[in-house]
Amino acid sequence: MAFSTTVSQRKHIKRKAPRGFLKRVFKRQKPHLRLETSGDLLVHLNCLLFVHRLAEETRMNAFENKCGVIKKEHVQAAAKVILKKSRG
Amino acid sequence: MAEAMADSYNGDSEPTTRTLLRRVLDTADTRTPRRRRSARVGAQKALLETPSSRRLSSPTKMNVRRHSHRVRSIGRLAHVHTSGNVEEQTPRTLLKNILLTAPESSIMRPESVVKPVPTPQVVQSSRRDSSRGSLELQLPELEPPTTLALGLLAPGRRKQRLRLSVFQQGMDQGLPLSQEPRGNASASSLTSSLNLTFATPLQPQSVQRPGLARRPPTRRAVDVGAFLQDLRDTSLALASPGDSLRTPVATLPADTVLEDTQPFSQPLVGRSPSGYHSLTCLSHTEVEDAERAVSLRTQSSGPRLQNHSLYVCPAESPGCWFLLHVRAESVLDQDTPNKYHPGKPAELLAGKAKKVDAHAVSFPNNSSAISGEDGVEPLQDGVDEEAEERMEESLSVSEVMDTTGTQGSVRTEKSKRHREMSEAVEAKEPEGSSGDEDISGRRASPELASSTTEFLQARQPQFLEPALPPSTAVLSSEPLEPLPTRLPPRARTPGPRPRQDPHKTGLSHYVKLFSFYAKMPMEKKALEMVEKCLDKYFQHLCDDLEVFAAHAGRKTVKPEDLELLMRRQGLVNDQVSLHVLVERYLPLEYRQLLIPCAFSGNSVFPAQ
Repeated sequence: MAFSTTVSQRKHIKRKAPRGFLKRVFKRQKPHLRLETSGDLLVHLNCLLFVHRLAEETRMNAFENKCGVIKKEHVQAAAKVILKKSRG
Repeated sequence: MAEAMADSYNGDSEPTTRTLLRRVLDTADTRTPRRRRSARVGAQKALLETPSSRRLSSPTKMNVRRHSHRVRSIGRLAHVHTSGNVEEQTPRTLLKNILLTAPESSIMRPESVVKPVPTPQVVQSSRRDSSRGSLELQLPELEPPTTLALGLLAPGRRKQRLRLSVFQQGMDQGLPLSQEPRGNASASSLTSSLNLTFATPLQPQSVQRPGLARRPPTRRAVDVGAFLQDLRDTSLALASPGDSLRTPVATLPADTVLEDTQPFSQPLVGRSPSGYHSLTCLSHTEVEDAERAVSLRTQSSGPRLQNHSLYVCPAESPGCWFLLHVRAESVLDQDTPNKYHPGKPAELLAGKAKKVDAHAVSFPNNSSAISGEDGVEPLQDGVDEEAEERMEESLSVSEVMDTTGTQGSVRTEKSKRHREMSEAVEAKEPEGSSGDEDISGRRASPELASSTTEFLQARQPQFLEPALPPSTAVLSSEPLEPLPTRLPPRARTPGPRPRQDPHKTGLSHYVKLFSFYAKMPMEKKALEMVEKCLDKYFQHLCDDLEVFAAHAGRKTVKPEDLELLMRRQGLVNDQVSLHVLVERYLPLEYRQLLIPCAFSGNSVFPAQ
């Protein structure tokens, strides 16, 4: 029997993917394109990995500067590197 | 007899043990007389000693490597007992034993012996051939005309090792007349090459074939400081009163290199010595140049400063300055002192700017922005205000004024010649005025301003546009200007509120994730920065997906495109597949939606 495409109400998913938000962003950017059903889940996965890498890099920067708090500069430097990597 | 034998076997000393022994075997009959003479010592030892003694007794250059100690000692001993040992057994049998037992490792050594001696042996019989065999083998390709015949197999081993070095030798020395030096060279090279099996044969001897030698490229470190100093010196040297054309070009690069870290400060190549006063967009370099001019140069340098200043800004407002440049050229030729004065207002303008401290960064922006804006305002408000503004700004700058003040009056007269341009410029440069210049400026401005209002208004649209971009650029640093700030890139629709709120809430989801992954306290600014990064990331993402879908000839973005994107990002590779990532990072429910799984009833979900 095929699994249902929807999740039953009582199930509470931790760390839900903002599917609506992702679809909206994509539509706003590229109105002439469509995004498939499962596509936005993979987009969410991509975002998670991006954020993960960004956070790692930021943490490293903060450690290098021997700061206990993450500052804007750390994030900026990390973003440069990670965005370049995620260019594809 | 012993000596005779030793002498006769001089040739034997060159080759290897084996060759020697073989020769001995061949000539075993002739050696019978020796038996009679001496019969002593143990057979084995004698056997060993005899051939070695024969070898060693002769004054050879043999540097025995392997057998060195043993052979030498034996040799000495055998020297005494040379002939006696033979009587024990037949020489043939003895020598055969020796041949069997003697290691072949001593092959290496004899090379050095062989090589030096080849020349005298050339004439000799086949014995020599064997001795020289090794040499011949190595050198055949190099020296076909050599008289040496190809030798025995034993030297074959040497062949490979020698070849490179010997080849090098041969190449370097060509086909020399004497073989000995070559032999020596090859011997030494052989030894060296033997030491290192594949020793690079780099010129142990003189390199006569430079093409073969690999010399590293000589790189001379460039002393930038000295270079710049030279530039300055040349510029100063050239800084003669009439030579305004060349000096600015020379000086400016040095100046800009040293002081201008601002991307806007353009390299002024071919700057026309436009003493175009009306240069409003005075960068701080102008101020600095002015200061330097005051200290170092004469008044003639003034125009140069002008040139500096004139050209620093043009890039910022190319449209409006184009005409000015053309004019400036004509002006410069005639009015050396006059050129200075248009720059002054610009300088003053810059001076008034907040970052007068000679931070090039803001100056060009500020000056251009201020000038632009002020240029706009006076056009609208009237000329009188310009003078007032100039007055105000002139107060701030002091240094430049002194030098320029004197010229101010002069310029006013001459400026009338180029009224059109100067008017426009001066109208644009509302502030520029340091103390002394104010007066002259005031004098000049009312005169010019009144007559040029119409002209200015005609030019207004032109100036407005270029004024705006620089002004907007400056706005970020200069809060003075009332011009509207640049719109944020993502706000496309009107009404920021409804647009950003849901967008921001969506982004905040990922920002929270970020702070969770970071595991460290974060500042608010950092979080905002993260939002910006996410925005950029989403833009890139959508662009890439569009490209991929278009590449596949589709208008729908499918999971394959996503997989390709992740592959290109390096997240998915041969070791880590997309499914693995899905399993790791997504909750179970999503995994069920993404990864096909078989269910009962012969069904797979999601369907493939």
